[in-house]
Amino acid sequence: FLGAGGGNDIQWCFSQVKGAVDDDVAEADIISTVEFNHSGELLATGDKGGRVVIFQQEQENKTQSHSRGEYNVYSTFQSHEPEFDYLKSLEIEEKINKIRWLPQKNAAQFLLSTNDKTIKLWKISERDKRPEGYNLKEEDGRYRDPTTVTTLRVPVFRPMDLMVEASPRRIFANAHTYHINSISINSDYETYLSADDLRINLWHLEITDRSFNIVDIKPANMEELTEVITAAEFHPNSCSTFVYSSSKGTIRLCDMRASALCDRHSKLFEEPEDPSNRSFFSEIISSISDVKFSHSGRYMMTRDYLSVKIWDLNMENRPVETYQVHEYLRSKLCSLYENDCIFDKFECCWNGLDRQVEFFSVLHFSIVMTGSYNNFFRMFDRNTKRDITLEASRENNKPRTVLKPRKVCASGKRKKDEISVDSLDFNKKILHTAWHPKENIIAVATTNNLYIFQDKMN
Amino acid sequence: MLGKGGKRKFDEHEDGLEGKVVSPTDGPSKVSYTLQRQTIFNISLMKLYNHRPLTEPSLQKTVLINNMLRRIQEELKQEGSLRPMFVTASQPADPLSDNFREAQPAFSHLASQPLLPTDFVSTMPLESCLTPASLLEDDTFCTSPAVQHDGPTKPPPPALQPVKDSFSSALDEIEELCPAPTSAEAVAAETAADDSKAHPSESNIHKPEGLPESRTAESKLMDSLPGNFEITASTGFLTDLTLDDILFADIDTSMYDFDPCTSATGAASKMAPVSADELLKTLAPYSSQPVTPNQPFKMDLTELDHIMEVLVGS
Repeated sequence: FLGAGGGNDIQWCFSQVKGAVDDDVAEADIISTVEFNHSGELLATGDKGGRVVIFQQEQENKTQSHSRGEYNVYSTFQSHEPEFDYLKSLEIEEKINKIRWLPQKNAAQFLLSTNDKTIKLWKISERDKRPEGYNLKEEDGRYRDPTTVTTLRVPVFRPMDLMVEASPRRIFANAHTYHINSISINSDYETYLSADDLRINLWHLEITDRSFNIVDIKPANMEELTEVITAAEFHPNSCSTFVYSSSKGTIRLCDMRASALCDRHSKLFEEPEDPSNRSFFSEIISSISDVKFSHSGRYMMTRDYLSVKIWDLNMENRPVETYQVHEYLRSKLCSLYENDCIFDKFECCWNGLDRQVEFFSVLHFSIVMTGSYNNFFRMFDRNTKRDITLEASRENNKPRTVLKPRKVCASGKRKKDEISVDSLDFNKKILHTAWHPKENIIAVATTNNLYIFQDKMN
Repeated sequence: MLGKGGKRKFDEHEDGLEGKVVSPTDGPSKVSYTLQRQTIFNISLMKLYNHRPLTEPSLQKTVLINNMLRRIQEELKQEGSLRPMFVTASQPADPLSDNFREAQPAFSHLASQPLLPTDFVSTMPLESCLTPASLLEDDTFCTSPAVQHDGPTKPPPPALQPVKDSFSSALDEIEELCPAPTSAEAVAAETAADDSKAHPSESNIHKPEGLPESRTAESKLMDSLPGNFEITASTGFLTDLTLDDILFADIDTSMYDFDPCTSATGAASKMAPVSADELLKTLAPYSSQPVTPNQPFKMDLTELDHIMEVLVGS
């Protein structure tokens, strides 16, 4: 597995952990989404309480070349509040389902955050100067008596303690009857899509009172509903192409140029069922919880309950690669159905840097990462075909100490240091992970803590 | 049990009850398949109908559970079509026998397996099958008074007249294991050590026989369901089985003790993954030792006795 040596094997070390230490998890602190911005300098998390916390990476200290900058809290704000739907007599959760950053165009940073019903565009800006020396106002803001003004001066900007302000610039509301599961910014950086269980809408970032419905799978008779949309994403390069995944394990690629309503897909990606693995739960575990394009746009990755699959966009009938995340759970599906774990939505991500230049040669590496239970997370190296299981835990995690690989013993004799399936803690799930776009730094969210790991730099 | 002719090892057997294909055509394993199917059916129903969230339930989850129920119902219908008796009618109220037969799939649960097509003889006495609660209301249903009283509150281990010997011994084992009240407690004690598991759904399931007409009860239930429950409210897939029969009958939940509340907060997740699997293992002891599954219950009974003594005696 990774870490066993070799040229470009990454050795992951603990760097930081954010969040409360105690085991008693406050519901509002449960992390629900994690996302690096385009430069990697900022790392945003959303939680069940509707808050967004943004961490900023310290500028690299020249003297401390053995580690990259640490992430410290940059801004915290309440993005969404709980609401009440009076028609249905139901609460609308304030939980942040997704955060997506816009590429930086000026000094301010912009991100989209969404709960089940409403998407908001937030502007995060810094203020480190303030004007001083007004003629008519005192420094504390009180107005001066004009008769006491004898001289005039020009107010100047003086430095002040850095203040980071977040303000909502756009609110995109009332366009979704069902729960929003995805938002994705188009490569034109002007439009974005939002997807709920049955519909996908296209928005312009500047326009909040109108959105275009581009996919609608709601049947005329709801009794006939057997499939829902689970995730959607724009192609990274082609601004008219997007994909959406379903609860039946299919992915549809649509081209917006084909028609206004993209109910007919251009491509349908689906792997035929393996008859030897059929069970009552086949459909449920085939439901796709996340779909992510590769940076090149040539491949896409899907996550279902037990595996990660890599698809070549040119081949619809089966994935090109399949990686088993926790196959040992296949025999526990009934229990996992009973306690609802089978409905857990794991996300997946690609490594950030597609290539790295080393000694004048260009090495391509491609690693995908996803979470599991017991605070384990998994990485699959697509080139070496090696995989590794690591744990996000406060114990045994010292900075710059390489993480020890974990192993789950499926059955039979448990070796030393292995963990048996029955000892796994299904409360400790890692659903959200993110990879820095340029460096080997990863952010892994446990229930209420955020772990940051980086590779060991020599 | 896997039906592929491979030698069965202990590990495989442990895994084999779940996930893997348990073909409905294998001998005793057919019962375990049916058991598993019934368990999943009941769990699915409870998930749909006991969930009273403040927020809207996840549509994806609802759809997946619905699909599960539909699939099982389709299977039941197909199996039922092997016997003419099992043809589903859309008017469950009228011929009592029809109503009775249709209701069978809903609770041919642990104690009796009247569902098994090859085993069924049309002359099977009514006493040997469970009676849906709604039927007990019906005055005209008076052919077997024994059934009326025994029905939902105390599912008796019926004296089935099985066709095959091996099958009958297997069934007897199931009956021994299955819900008489004390053994049910023992199972509950064994599989759910968490005392704090209140079971709010209990009151919903173990409704007394004094039920109103099935239709009004159903509509009441529908009204009380929160918001966007369009799918389950229409219950297209349930029209053949009277909703009442399933919901208000005495489904014994002690065997798979789970608590929707704790599963939401995840309090006892560590226990839960163990219970359903072990449940299935203990309920279908077709590997080799018929004796073993009884022993845990006996042990727990003595433990219970001991605990009672401690509580009361000292």
